Amino acid sequence: MSKPIFELINELPQSGATVMSLRALDYIVPGEWQNITSFDSMITLVTGESDPGMVQQIGERAITLYNDPAEGYQRAVWLYQTANSIGGKLGAAALANKIGESVSFLSFLEKITPKADKAQAIDFSIKVAAEIIAYAKINGIPGDGVAEFMGAVGDYGKESIMRLAALTCFDGLIPLGPDFLRKMEEFISGLVPDDLSKNPAFSAVSSMIPGGDVGGQLGFVQQGFNSIKGWMGNFVSSKNITPEGVVSSLKNFIEVSDDKLDYVAGFLDATTNYFDYTGVQTVGRRLIERAVAEI
Amino acid sequence: MNKYLFRTALLLCAFVLSLTACSKKEDPRWSEADKKSKEAIEAKKEAQKSGALPTPEEGGSFNKFFPKTESGFEMIASQEKTGFAEYKLKKGGKDLAMIAISDVANNPQAADKFKTATKKIGGFPAVDQGSTATAVLVGGRFQVKVLSRDVSFTKANREEWLNKVNLAGLAAMK
Repeated sequence: MSKPIFELINELPQSGATVMSLRALDYIVPGEWQNITSFDSMITLVTGESDPGMVQQIGERAITLYNDPAEGYQRAVWLYQTANSIGGKLGAAALANKIGESVSFLSFLEKITPKADKAQAIDFSIKVAAEIIAYAKINGIPGDGVAEFMGAVGDYGKESIMRLAALTCFDGLIPLGPDFLRKMEEFISGLVPDDLSKNPAFSAVSSMIPGGDVGGQLGFVQQGFNSIKGWMGNFVSSKNITPEGVVSSLKNFIEVSDDKLDYVAGFLDATTNYFDYTGVQTVGRRLIERAVAEI
Repeated sequence: MNKYLFRTALLLCAFVLSLTACSKKEDPRWSEADKKSKEAIEAKKEAQKSGALPTPEEGGSFNKFFPKTESGFEMIASQEKTGFAEYKLKKGGKDLAMIAISDVANNPQAADKFKTATKKIGGFPAVDQGSTATAVLVGGRFQVKVLSRDVSFTKANREEWLNKVNLAGLAAMK
């Protein structure tokens, strides 16, 4: 079994490349994401309860819910961790997070190989599939009928909306440019099962992707992309998000260059782990919301 | 001077050591809870298998008992797991409260606090819990709880919304 939920939350660092890169996106989703790195604080922030006895009861219930494999929360964390950890990692993420201070782009430059656009599109679509499956593992399929379910999904906030903002910017807009959704659609609609089975991120999470065989799973991945592209296109245009704007905000926190955007994308991919970082925070929040209602 | 430096170094060491000892990830309260929870999960499984504990109802079967959307308010489905369903109550885009129905078959000790309940809501025993929650126990089996998520949402509001849940319908489900 993986680590208990209180440990996963308490081990999140207070600074480092991931934290700084997410702070850089605060201007897109203002005030939504707080870097909560303590299980006790999370209980108090989510529930408004600070009495030690109440905090203890809520925490114990949350720990129990997480530890029961049948509840699905552990699988969600596994999905966030696995879909994130594969790819062009340099093994530098842990180091970069420990540095805590400014992380130098130039010092990593020679080690970065930008991903090919097609590989970027596949990795993106697998993160989308992982997000959809993790959502269902954490929340079930809430509501009676499609309309209520769409309302539940539309209510993304806090760590979850920050994760989608980071997915949009770090895995879409920066590596592929302003028309990333159109480019990705071309690649993703043209994929054949073999493209997926050769992809390391897919191989790692495939046991959790519905669809039966790889052909069916490809259908799930493609549908997942189609279901998010409208929302994401609207997110980018309504908030007027541009690669230049994101890089300019990143520069306040991390030393990056704006003339090599694919290298910036490679740098972020190698030094940050926003997907499982915010994934752990999402799971923690939902567990606590349920725990306080059940005690 | 050297003595002073030495003392400072010692103090620093002690400070760093105490920090490590109290490292937040190794909080004994939660490690203990972690151990106990694993035993509790096994015990619950056994109890459900032997019939000593009922099998929890599907969360989806609770949806119809939640309050209907009222003008000015939004009710947003939030979570639906075995024995649990929760909705978020919003107004003007702001979170006001969470409304949850849970089957105490999932967490039997949750029913204990109602034994000393001194008030009733909709004819069912009701208690206030912590500073943000009011709960009723329906038919000895289903806990309905409203949790404030904004200071403007008072205890009176919680009781008002508990009354909007179809408590009698839920009791008949047992």
